[in-house]
Amino acid sequence: MKKNVFKRFAAVGLSMIMVTSLAACNDQATDDNFSIDPYFDAADVDNKPEVISIMADTIMTEENGLQDVCDEYYNNTGIRLEIEKPDHAKYYEKVTLAFASEDPADIIEMGSTYYPELANSGALWDMTYAWEMSTSNCKQIIDEDYVDALRINGKLYGFPMAAGNGTITYVRQDWLDEAGLDMPTNYDEFVEMLRAFKARGNGAIPITAAGLLNTETPYDIYLREFYQDAVPDFYVDEETGQYVDGFAEPEMVEAITRLRDAFQEGLLDSEVVTNKTSTCRDKLGSGLVGAFNYWAGMWSLKLQRSMNEGQLVAMPPIEETGGYTERVPTAMAMSIYAPEKPAIFEHFLMYSHDGGEGQMLFTHGVKDKHYVVNEDGSATALPYYTDPDTTVEKSFYAPELTITEWDDPIALDPMVEESLEVYRENRVFATVPIVTDVISQNLADLNVIKNQVVANAVTGKMSVEEAMQYYEEKGTYYANAILEELNSDAYREQVANDEAEAAEEIENAKNGVNPSAAGEGTDTAE
Amino acid sequence: MKKKFSLFNPQYAARSWFVLFNTLFFIAMMVIMIVPIYKIFCDSMINQTVYGLNLIPYGVDPEATELARNAGTIGADESVSVWFNTIAYKRIITDPQLYHPFLVSIYTTLLTTFLGLLLSTLGAYVLIQRDMPGVKVFGYALLFTMIFNAGLIPTFLVMKTIGLLDSIWAVIVPTSMNVYNLVLMRSFFEGIPASLFEAAEIDGCTPMGIFIKIVLPLSKAALASIGLFFAVAAWSEYFHYVIYIKSSDKYNFQYKLRDLFQDKQDTSEGTRINTNTLKSAAVIVSIIPFMFIYPFCQKYFMTGVTMGAVKE
Amino acid sequence: MANNDNMNFDHIVVQKPSIKQRMYKYRWFYIMFLPVAVVLFIFYYWPMLGIRYAWSTYKLKQITMRTGPDYSIGWGNFKRLLTADPFQAAFKNTIILSLVNLILATVFTVVVALLINEIGNAWGKKIVQTVLYLPHFLSWVVAASIFMLILSAGTDATGADTSNMGFVNAILYNIGIIDKPIDFLTDSKYWRPVWYIMNRWKETGWGTIIYLAALSSISPDLYEAAEIDGANRFKQTIYITLPSLMNTILIVFILNLAKIMNIFESVFVLYNSLVYDVSDVIQTYVYRVGIVGNDYGYSTAIGLFKSVISLILVTASDIISKKVRGEGIV
Repeated sequence: MKKNVFKRFAAVGLSMIMVTSLAACNDQATDDNFSIDPYFDAADVDNKPEVISIMADTIMTEENGLQDVCDEYYNNTGIRLEIEKPDHAKYYEKVTLAFASEDPADIIEMGSTYYPELANSGALWDMTYAWEMSTSNCKQIIDEDYVDALRINGKLYGFPMAAGNGTITYVRQDWLDEAGLDMPTNYDEFVEMLRAFKARGNGAIPITAAGLLNTETPYDIYLREFYQDAVPDFYVDEETGQYVDGFAEPEMVEAITRLRDAFQEGLLDSEVVTNKTSTCRDKLGSGLVGAFNYWAGMWSLKLQRSMNEGQLVAMPPIEETGGYTERVPTAMAMSIYAPEKPAIFEHFLMYSHDGGEGQMLFTHGVKDKHYVVNEDGSATALPYYTDPDTTVEKSFYAPELTITEWDDPIALDPMVEESLEVYRENRVFATVPIVTDVISQNLADLNVIKNQVVANAVTGKMSVEEAMQYYEEKGTYYANAILEELNSDAYREQVANDEAEAAEEIENAKNGVNPSAAGEGTDTAE
Repeated sequence: MKKKFSLFNPQYAARSWFVLFNTLFFIAMMVIMIVPIYKIFCDSMINQTVYGLNLIPYGVDPEATELARNAGTIGADESVSVWFNTIAYKRIITDPQLYHPFLVSIYTTLLTTFLGLLLSTLGAYVLIQRDMPGVKVFGYALLFTMIFNAGLIPTFLVMKTIGLLDSIWAVIVPTSMNVYNLVLMRSFFEGIPASLFEAAEIDGCTPMGIFIKIVLPLSKAALASIGLFFAVAAWSEYFHYVIYIKSSDKYNFQYKLRDLFQDKQDTSEGTRINTNTLKSAAVIVSIIPFMFIYPFCQKYFMTGVTMGAVKE
Repeated sequence: MANNDNMNFDHIVVQKPSIKQRMYKYRWFYIMFLPVAVVLFIFYYWPMLGIRYAWSTYKLKQITMRTGPDYSIGWGNFKRLLTADPFQAAFKNTIILSLVNLILATVFTVVVALLINEIGNAWGKKIVQTVLYLPHFLSWVVAASIFMLILSAGTDATGADTSNMGFVNAILYNIGIIDKPIDFLTDSKYWRPVWYIMNRWKETGWGTIIYLAALSSISPDLYEAAEIDGANRFKQTIYITLPSLMNTILIVFILNLAKIMNIFESVFVLYNSLVYDVSDVIQTYVYRVGIVGNDYGYSTAIGLFKSVISLILVTASDIISKKVRGEGIV
């Protein structure tokens, strides 16, 4: 019997050797388009590709005439668009899989988590030079803040689709009125307001949220009023110039204590840890919720419509928070495998924000299909193909979040405009989250621990001290690994290097120089 | 020995109570097995959101109601109910995004079954050649893959290297190469009397000739039973599509079904079909082909599994 | 599984022709085996070379920069997995889910098989079997879809609108056990029980086949003798049926024990990010790290770790099996 087992494995070993000897495998696929060089000749811009492939998530559905948008684009530019719109739940799986297969679309929509991740992996084309070289109208009318919000160490790897937007605290005006309160302006008044909401009884939830920490940066966005100056993330300490772990700082203890007090007093939804955003919206819709932090803009309208009674208003930021946070915009990034990159940049990205024909097409869709032009030059959105009761909101880019100054012929709903105004009053732009190899290896694990810590402390499973103790035991390992890298000379050097390269690209663009052409002229990778 | 059923006659009572309990138990079991499927069937035929406890395929038809209201045949607060509302099924049949994956499922199932049978019969036939040099190595090389595999990522990277990503063969071929089925097939072949082979050899039959003229015709039951195993596996295939397939026109019905359930956006947007009705209908459609063949093939499934069981 | 004794003919001593002659004689068989060998090689053995990535840093960066895997980290990936919380959680979940499921499976399946065996009416037996086997043939995707529908909490999580709850919530609500719908699949308290139930619903019936086959081979003489001794049916079950079945129960148990690290698709189609803490198993973790996270080196290391444990389990089961019935399982 024993002999048998050995024999068997000897046989297998033999076949393994066979395998190894036969495996003269060629791991590297070759691809003509593969290029990481940001430089190009001015003439390359007109070298239009026949087709541009796009992978996007938050755009108009096929049923509502995505193909019409493509056809119209072809009529205008002579370039075909091939659009892939995977199922939303699997979107990022499909994006990373496409890159792993070395076969991604030319232009890929990317949120603020994956954008720096893929940029760090070298999968995205550096378009700093292209943007600086662009002579398009977009360059004239753009609000540069949004473009700069996507820069990573000075370099630009994607172009914003629309403003990042952010969330704002909505409050039930009618509940405020009934309690005889004014809109709170600081934390004490805010808590007073929540207490008044709680006193209404009948299961009233003073404030709700989906989770105590957001799943992506900025982590503190939904409960800003409680976090205040605490930053549950890594940031540069201004005094020392070193990165610190905001989660381990004393401000965080205070923030957790505030959340805990509010929770124990019943001011915070008792299901806050398990709530999903849809649950929160349901609760708001059925009139149970007094305050809820959610997207500014179009959602103000949608939330109001979902409610049977009551009136929502946007609360201006309270003193302690200073302002709401503008998230990193969703980017349209270009893969390093895309052909004719300068031309795609100009004829797709710049064109779609040109303040005219292109912007109209990628904001509102196709004339006479998605909107009609009135006699006075203004325009009106038409209903969706599939839903006669709702008018077209957008084709690619949300009109209310436009990043350019242009005359949109379709006017915005006043309520949307108002919430955006309140929100933008004092907003702070978030920066692209830092991604390095060490961070991408440790951050997910660390965030799980952070969530446990906050949840345990707030719901009272642990005292705040115990929770922080737990963080020190479990989280410090990851946090230190990340801090060590961020504060290392190598990382600083790399950042300085990137910034110098970016500055050089900008300088070259200003002088109209293409250094690549001067040298050997080819644009292949190392 | 005839047993009498009587709950009160002391001689038979214990047994009778047991039989009663046993019968009730299995009725309950069958209900548990069937009700979830039956419930989905009913929900697939009611095009409205109210379905909680309803267990008959009968419900308000919003379209007919609106028509009748417009025509004035019913009042504003009345509604029209119908039996067997098939609107969701009509959508599946007419919407290429839904019926195309169904066609993909059909042809991949056929291809996988054919290829699977080809590989397992060839492999099994070779494995029963006891005197063939190296046959043991082949056998162990096959068995080793059952107890150790390289894992997801190395396999994925090989698929990439040989250019099978986004190709339907990346799904078909691995499913066709099933060592368990091959070993099962070998056990069937071993049951064929050696004298038949010898006689054929003496008659001058080539190995291929023996395979086609003797082995295959004698193994019809095995072919049916293992073929069905392949078919069920191919029809149920899901994960390989997730990792290997990128183009939406190559997805099978299982993948599409899963998509319907995962998509947070309302898939039935504006089509007047309730999302849950469509999901339910898709579940029913994906099990229909099997429901048709199952009663006729149960015998073969059993043969296969008892064969395997005996071997175990 | 195969019975390897069929492959051991060492005891047959005959004057064999030389290897060359025999190879020539069997030349056509080598050609016939070629398709199998090619597929086996490409899809099973070639990937084994990729195991070396477990000792490397291999991410998207190595692909886009075209540098190939970076082997400078040595055992780094293994050190990392032994310290990483998510891996430990996944490992624990794998063991808990598999073992509980295995125990439930053994108990339920044996009891149901014994009861099926007691059905006197041949037609009744046939119908029961047909119905009980049915869910086995549904794919995991379909089974999960069915469970998602009947366990749905409806669209209104506050419980204000009860009309569109799923079947189970509607029943519980109407008999007054709950006052608002439970979202079974996104709640860590309920997810595991739901998974066990789904597994039992799908596989219990099918699992009985092997026991029924074993039951039918028990000699009727034993029962007759027992009846003469005055043992009732219950006693017969305890003293004759169960002991005769013990061998089969043990073998099936051992076989499944060898496979406990392999659970994947049944979890993959039912879990979601809200219940990772109780549902994430090694294979799903490998998938998320490798395919979603593009960390091929680390993912390969986890996969390899799992495969090695599997291999140990199989070998151990094989040894146990040989002790128990003098015959291995592979």
